[in-house]
Amino acid sequence: MYGEYDIGDLNLDRDDFLIAVEKDDNFYVYRRLCKEEVSLKRIAGSGKIVLNPVEPVNIPKNITNFLEIELKDKIIIEPKSKITIYVTFPIEIGTFILNREFAILDVFTLTDPKYTLYGTPSKGVICRYWMSDVYGKVPKTDVLKEGVLELELLNSSEDWVEFGKVVLDVYGMKIYYDDTRVISKASVNITSRGIAETQFVDGKYKMKKAIEVYTAKRLHVLRRSFVMEWGL
Amino acid sequence: MIDILGYKVYENVTVRDILTVVVVMIVTVLIAKIVTINVKRVLADRIRRDQLDFITKVIYFSIIIIAFLGVTPILGLNLTGLLVAGGVAGIVIGFASQSVVSNFISGLFLLWERPIKIGDAINVDGVFGIVEDIHIMSTIIRTFDGLYVRIPNERMFTSNITNLVANIARRVEYRIGISYSDDAGKAIKVINDVLSDEPFVLKEPSPDIFVDSLGESSVDVVIRFWTPTSEWYSIKTNMLWKIKVELEKNGITIPFPQRVVWFANKLGLEK
Repeated sequence: MYGEYDIGDLNLDRDDFLIAVEKDDNFYVYRRLCKEEVSLKRIAGSGKIVLNPVEPVNIPKNITNFLEIELKDKIIIEPKSKITIYVTFPIEIGTFILNREFAILDVFTLTDPKYTLYGTPSKGVICRYWMSDVYGKVPKTDVLKEGVLELELLNSSEDWVEFGKVVLDVYGMKIYYDDTRVISKASVNITSRGIAETQFVDGKYKMKKAIEVYTAKRLHVLRRSFVMEWGL
Repeated sequence: MIDILGYKVYENVTVRDILTVVVVMIVTVLIAKIVTINVKRVLADRIRRDQLDFITKVIYFSIIIIAFLGVTPILGLNLTGLLVAGGVAGIVIGFASQSVVSNFISGLFLLWERPIKIGDAINVDGVFGIVEDIHIMSTIIRTFDGLYVRIPNERMFTSNITNLVANIARRVEYRIGISYSDDAGKAIKVINDVLSDEPFVLKEPSPDIFVDSLGESSVDVVIRFWTPTSEWYSIKTNMLWKIKVELEKNGITIPFPQRVVWFANKLGLEK
């Protein structure tokens, strides 16, 4: 379902959502129906329509750039060790119009968004919340609902540490996709029992790279890390 | 014409010097405005509006102060000497302009301490509203009903300021009475489900729902939950009705105040 469509050819009618673009006099009219919510945009111009997964912090509206993934089962990691685990993250689907440059038409999701606070009300951050199982290899997921996050965990401390959640700044999240998988990659450097530095990294998977919302908004973002200092 | 320009106003300062200073200051103000407009244009999408306003003000006044310091020698002013010589005059002017200076200094402290930012919702001495601008002498507040209120910075600085949006999360609290005949455990579960379905009712800190008291007419349930501050008002105004509707759907009633009255003798009506 993800990919490029000629503007007049886009007509996706599925059980859980409908997306169509129709010609109406001088405009193309983009319609999307999902969870009884309708999005309608008139497009003055032409181009290709691109659908791909985007950073999952836009629904119901963008109030944060942080994503918190809580693990259903905590992991105990031995000192000075490195492991790779796989968790899932929620998918938000972005619709873009492409004609030399990208512009965002719409973002929607088939998942139920939930937000949480990491830290204190005065010094913490609001995060998009997601709970995930922990996998030792890339799990199979519904690509319209769940992506896979490859998580490199480095325990650089001298202690055994318990790891139960990761908070990531989605600026710099690189998402790759094909028909069977949506994947991204992040690293976590645990420096002590309660502190870790996290950041998304470019996994450079041999798959199609998703257009990012922040790129489409012309925001110039350097790769950003986040220091988890209110517990792991 | 040349004679007029060369006319000495005082000491060696001529009309030409004064005109030069005036022209330089006018050009400086224009340059400062052009620079700040361009800075605003470039940074508008990249930083917050309050930060942008602060930066542009600093740039604007820095340019003007630098230019002013540059032209003072043309006017024959020696700032060091002026400070010493102006001591007595300064005291007099100081007393005369006490509140002006006080407001000015308070404004500087407010900009430095930054208890509020442009765009914040605040309460100062009972004035509730949005901070529209922080000037060097006063702070402008737009009340929630759209009134323009100018508060001198001295008052701002010495008053208790409640910043409603300084923290990123705020708590909402409701108290709902349910009938004595209803199952409070079921009511709590229904309320919890309603809160779970709302994206902006935060998962953590987790909602707190409990029977708080056994009232005269109802079992009183207290509901506390947290929301992002930016969404606090809309969530607070929406959730109560959602909870009420959902409780009623599940057969839980919210009783009216009621009192059972026993009569010692049978009512005449019944006879």
